[in-house]
Amino acid sequence: MTVAVTGYATHVPGLSARDLPGSPAEPAVAADQAHVVLGRKGLLAKEPATRLALCAVHAALGLPPGRPTGPVAGAGTTAVVVSSNLGNVQTVCAVVDEMRASSGHAVSPLLAPNASSNIIASSIAIRYGITGPNFMLCAGATSGLDAVRLGARLLRAGRTDRAVVVGVEPDDEIARGLLGLRATPPGGFSEPRAAAACVLLTRYDPAAEGPAVLLDRVTRSARPPEGAAGLRLDPHPGLGGVSLTERVGETYGALGVLQVAAATGWLLDPASTHTAAEVTCGDPEDGYATARLSLTAASQDWLAPTAEVIFR
Amino acid sequence: MLTCLGDADDTVAALLTGASGVAPLRFVDTEKLFVGFGYPIDDGDRERSFRASSWLTETVADAVRESGLDVSGKRVAVVVGSGLRELRSLERWHADGAGATLRELHFDAAVRAVLPEATEVLTVSNACSAGGYALALALDLLALDEADAVVVAGCDSMTESMLTMIGRVGDELVTELRPFDRDRGGVLLGEGAAALVLEREPADGRPVLARILGVGLSCDAHHETAPDVAGIVAAMRDAHTRAGVAPEDIDLVLAHGTGTALNDPTEARALTEVFAEAGGGLVTAIKGATGHTSGGAALMSLLVAVEAMRRGRLPAVIGLADPIDEAADLAVLAGESVPIQARIAQVNAFGFGGVNAVTIVEV
Repeated sequence: MTVAVTGYATHVPGLSARDLPGSPAEPAVAADQAHVVLGRKGLLAKEPATRLALCAVHAALGLPPGRPTGPVAGAGTTAVVVSSNLGNVQTVCAVVDEMRASSGHAVSPLLAPNASSNIIASSIAIRYGITGPNFMLCAGATSGLDAVRLGARLLRAGRTDRAVVVGVEPDDEIARGLLGLRATPPGGFSEPRAAAACVLLTRYDPAAEGPAVLLDRVTRSARPPEGAAGLRLDPHPGLGGVSLTERVGETYGALGVLQVAAATGWLLDPASTHTAAEVTCGDPEDGYATARLSLTAASQDWLAPTAEVIFR
Repeated sequence: MLTCLGDADDTVAALLTGASGVAPLRFVDTEKLFVGFGYPIDDGDRERSFRASSWLTETVADAVRESGLDVSGKRVAVVVGSGLRELRSLERWHADGAGATLRELHFDAAVRAVLPEATEVLTVSNACSAGGYALALALDLLALDEADAVVVAGCDSMTESMLTMIGRVGDELVTELRPFDRDRGGVLLGEGAAALVLEREPADGRPVLARILGVGLSCDAHHETAPDVAGIVAAMRDAHTRAGVAPEDIDLVLAHGTGTALNDPTEARALTEVFAEAGGGLVTAIKGATGHTSGGAALMSLLVAVEAMRRGRLPAVIGLADPIDEAADLAVLAGESVPIQARIAQVNAFGFGGVNAVTIVEV
């Protein structure tokens, strides 16, 4: 069975499609403006990571702005896999601070769901009515591509027909403090950046029209693989390929999904000559995960530069 | 396995005699939390950081040793289910100035301390069904031939933030967890870890403890904290389909049974719906003795189910005296342990966010 990437979106506040494939035409809104994309209802007490993740899913599903009125098409046979390590660390610390300063009664009960790390994945399921398997991965620096791999496994295992795979990290004081505890990563420290990305994975259907990006198996290694030719997205700056960490900032557990979304966008760009991409995330302590993406041969016909593109 | 009652043998023995591990909480301000009790692991007079990690390391090492698995040249993947990860160590780093690292928030290092050759270590943070979700992923890894063996584990220690929230939403001070009882007051947290080794079928004649026939998964997509009958029923039916069993094949059920206002009647309704025609076997639950151990809960229930079937004796629900009306059509075991002849068990695990995992196991 072959897995295809059939949707992608990136949502990094301040960045637009000119900066990063899959982003909105206008700069992506900050977490506190997420209602512009999602509608006002249902966002009360939602953490920034959850809001940004919902914005990315909303765009990847191709939904118009506003809260959906019912489950999205295929919701019953869709799975959710989210990667985030730091999504709720600020809330956890704030709850302890507030309880110790006065008492538990001072803490808003609306924060209760946020004490559990899977709040992002379940919030996506609730908003879009998605009742399939719902996984929250918190697996460190490789977590983004681990989530992509898990999404593909759920398809291969027959547990779902579509996987909504999300990577997201917030940028808050606690997250910054934790990221600062690491040994200096290769390529040096980069500024943390709140970021979300979503890719939709399905079984590849050769009969479907249009260009298609295929996802090969994700592999693990102790060190980044030797540089492949073609489009390469690296785990750290300074390795010779494209570094989203350099372009966007430190996105930790979101990086792998951000890379797959961006690489898919670049492969599908009619102005691009690339037909394959290799993306790697990770760090020396957690190791590295690598995904390989390719355009199907038939895609070339669909993506041949048109007059419209030439004059763009 | 490691619980407030001891190791696996201690825990099963305590369950069979009706003992409970409930104890006053230490190291936290119980008056500010409005939570005074839990089922903690007593491991010293000063709180350490990374307790969940240390239990995980210990149980993973035990499970691998006891399985007799030779890891050399094999692809051994590890999946860890944890509701609260090392958030307790994060809290102590933030509020008490204790040491921490970013990497130890997840469990890669804790596993590699005893299993450095693991091909991957995944931390699945699916609230109170994390262990069941981890087990589903482990089965898929074997079925897809992406691993030769999978160590699946679950672990959790209590966090001050979760205790705050339990105290915040509860009405009264709870002194014990009483699954399916009319007078249940709510949930109390437990602590501990469990690990098991999964292989397709050992070719070298090593003993097989039990066979996992299937794990069903679903998400309610209904509410952040409240459970939903439809979602739970869907997970049970998915489990039966994947395991190739019918409700009448299930000899006993290890219920999730958290003693909360909402879980127990919802779970009882779902069990009644699924087992209505089959009649259903005996139902028991362990959280009245172990507390709610979150990420470890599903695997602890699974190990207790396996031991009960192997020993032919089923522990009763500790803390249950007067069952709720919703359980009227279920054979929930109160009182004392009973002899059983059982071969196939169902193990329920449901979590915050409506994430449900149901396991079918055969001995």
